[in-house]
Amino acid sequence: MDIEVKILKDREAKLLVSNTNPPMVNALRRVLIADVPKLAIEDIEFHLGTIGDEMEDKEYESSAPLFDEIIAHRLGMLPIPTDLELFDFRDRCDECEGEGCPNCTIIYSLNKKGPCTVYSGDLIPVGENDLRPVDDLIPLVKLDDTQALLIYATAELGTAKQHAKWQPTNGVAYKYYPEIEIDQDSCNLCGECVESCPKEVLDIEDEELIIADLEGCKFCSLCEEVCAPGAIDVSGREDKFILTFETDGSLTSEEVLKEGLQILKGKFDEIAEMSESI
Amino acid sequence: MMIPVRCFTCGKVIGNVYEVYKDRLEQGEDPGEVLDDLGIDRYCCRRMFLSHQDLIDDVMKY
Repeated sequence: MDIEVKILKDREAKLLVSNTNPPMVNALRRVLIADVPKLAIEDIEFHLGTIGDEMEDKEYESSAPLFDEIIAHRLGMLPIPTDLELFDFRDRCDECEGEGCPNCTIIYSLNKKGPCTVYSGDLIPVGENDLRPVDDLIPLVKLDDTQALLIYATAELGTAKQHAKWQPTNGVAYKYYPEIEIDQDSCNLCGECVESCPKEVLDIEDEELIIADLEGCKFCSLCEEVCAPGAIDVSGREDKFILTFETDGSLTSEEVLKEGLQILKGKFDEIAEMSESI
Repeated sequence: MMIPVRCFTCGKVIGNVYEVYKDRLEQGEDPGEVLDDLGIDRYCCRRMFLSHQDLIDDVMKY
């Protein structure tokens, strides 16, 4: 399996995977979705009862327009910056054996008094400051002038096999590498294929039908259908693929890819070992 | 109610651009162009914005 990187931005990647077959690319795709771990908020403690403010001499209700469960769910969805080198799974942590320690958990506090909108940026990590949620403008809940929110939240590592909130990637998809064959002899340059293509793959330049954007082709075959002389043939290669994915920002796409390939290699090594013992 | 944190279908984080989207719509910009500009490309994510109704202010009274 050879991987050529086309685009590798923080939150977006496009790769050309060649010398392989669909099951292999699909295995990589599934690992990127379900096996690469990331941090997400798992436990949340809500302060109950009144919340006083000594400065203003005012008491706030610890209630919000949304149910606590909904707020907890929204907090779980937030992307938390993850360093896979630093963090261990909580239940496999050597330091604390699941008790919760700086090696496996991050504790956040949120303390807001109304009237206001509570944003993801209001979550303050206890201790290190560079662990704030990646996007700080995600609205969580709105409070009126009698309401306040005091929350302690614990983030830990997990994988999307347990819950989708631990899924570091989205839009992970692959397609066959397109191959478009044009029979220039029978092409009459009517231009109907250029018109019909929704992705502007084909173009006419210097009295010749050319392929302007081969990788944009999505195999709709409209150009084949409208071509009266039948000069166009669209097909896909079964040994070369275009794999695209995005991340939610908790990991960069490079980190996700590296970790995903490591995990995939680990799985294959495991199978090889097992087959030897048969 | 409040804008969902993520797209229901693909899981892309969309909550972070909602405030920008709302402000730009109030200034009379075209929703489609604003979404293009904000990088909300897929139609699953776009419908999250188009079909969203901010009801939190109505609910807050009760």
